[in-house]
Amino acid sequence: MVAMMHTPLRPTSPLRLVDAQPEPSSTAPEAIIRVEDLSIVFDVPRGAVIAVDRVSLAVMPGEFVSLVGPSGCGKSTLLNAMAGLERPFEGEITVAGKPMLAPRPDIGMVFQQPHLFPWKSVRRNIAHGPRALGKSKTEALRIADDLIDMIGLTKFASAYPHTLSGGMQQRVAIARALANQPRVLLMDEPFGALDAQTRAVMQDNLLELRDRINATIVFVTHDIDEAILLSDRVLIMSAGPGRILRDLSVALPRPRSSAILTDPAYLALKRDCLDLIRTEGRKAFEQMER
Amino acid sequence: MSTGGHNRATAAGRLSMLLGALSVPAFVGVWELIARSRIVNAVLFPPPSTVAVAILDWIHSGQFVGDLSASLFRVTMGFLIGTTGGIMLGVLTGRFRLVSSLLSPLFHILRPIPPIAFVPIVILWFGLSEAGKLFLVVWGVFFTVWLATHIGVQKVDRGLIRAALMLGTPRRQMLTEIVLLGALPYIVVGLRTAVSISFYTLVAAELAGAFAGIVYRIEIAQQNMQTGQVMGGLAALGLLSFVADRSFAAIAERAVWWR
Repeated sequence: MVAMMHTPLRPTSPLRLVDAQPEPSSTAPEAIIRVEDLSIVFDVPRGAVIAVDRVSLAVMPGEFVSLVGPSGCGKSTLLNAMAGLERPFEGEITVAGKPMLAPRPDIGMVFQQPHLFPWKSVRRNIAHGPRALGKSKTEALRIADDLIDMIGLTKFASAYPHTLSGGMQQRVAIARALANQPRVLLMDEPFGALDAQTRAVMQDNLLELRDRINATIVFVTHDIDEAILLSDRVLIMSAGPGRILRDLSVALPRPRSSAILTDPAYLALKRDCLDLIRTEGRKAFEQMER
Repeated sequence: MSTGGHNRATAAGRLSMLLGALSVPAFVGVWELIARSRIVNAVLFPPPSTVAVAILDWIHSGQFVGDLSASLFRVTMGFLIGTTGGIMLGVLTGRFRLVSSLLSPLFHILRPIPPIAFVPIVILWFGLSEAGKLFLVVWGVFFTVWLATHIGVQKVDRGLIRAALMLGTPRRQMLTEIVLLGALPYIVVGLRTAVSISFYTLVAAELAGAFAGIVYRIEIAQQNMQTGQVMGGLAALGLLSFVADRSFAAIAERAVWWR
């Protein structure tokens, strides 16, 4: 028994049942992303800036969670930390039970800019991930072709990125992130650089896509409409230092479309969010003034 | 009115084409006239006809092929070696801070010294061997290509690198694909500069003492007062580097194939 206690236990291990002190979460489903007391500090020429301040959160498998807050509130930093692109200063992040120390292929990321490889065609861009993970060329291209059909760019399979519109490029970027079949998809204001019309189409596309893939999604945005429309849960962050202010669940029925934008429940939720953000924004502004 | 404007445009276009076609023949004609008019000393300033005869003699004697291949070999080999080294070290210094801290200060001190200034020490080190000539061309090419690559690598979009990281790109592929291709537009500019550099370091290398080569032939002809041959050599050198530059420009346009 004593020897067993020293062997690391996987969360799914049945041995957990004989633990002397069962964790409260052992009856609830395990969170896929667990952030515990996370702080991230940046060195700047005159000292240090706390970008993320003792944030804790958990995301359940299959959940769609949005991080909302004013610019500079550390939401992107928090997302980058979940991606393994940013090292924790304090605290810990585990994804699928393993601590995040470096980027991992079971975690996909879509950035605000598409960042497609300009020297590769759409097809090869999407096949990049599977190839990098050692899949055969035929297998990788087959995965790419399936995803190209899914995002509706079949005609553009052999086009180079610079010939595509911003919305199309971003769809390719999403497909490229999905090609490794990530368990978690992190999205950092993916539609922020698009015009309003394209953004609305992309949001609908993402909702459809979500039904077909099996990924947990964490979505950063400063657009509250977007956050509520897409998410199961909206986490509102405060500015300087970044903290999570409120955790709102969005109990609107799915499938959703932009039609919910006039739903009373939606409007009530939106008012809550706006009030919070407005107070926070004013605080942040006053802090800067001082 | 528009047709009138159109006609004027085509007339101007024709005139410019005509002048373009006349440019070289007119220059040669004027040169011939001046050289034959005895205003200048025809021995020092031979007419084009004499130069043409000298070139034909050069070709018929069989020396031309030997000289051309000797010079081409030095330029090509020096370019290839210097370029390969420059790109490899440029990727390393551009990507790895420690390597850069170690090498960049040294390279920045050595780079501004004109390669021609190394001729005396190269003669002491290598004598009149081919290695010395290659060394000069390599030296000239290396720093330009290194700097272009170094800067290009540092300017590679960080977003591309992050995207590649998130997709599980192995370290090696990161260097050989993402970083190298990301920097390619800069590298190509460096390579084009390196083409002309390799030609003028060739001049220094062959003037320092050789047994064959186009510049070597020019120098021998000068010592024998064969001014026609000297000018023929210059013409050959000009034509050769012109062709090299133009063909490289054509290759460069295709090198960045996704544009």
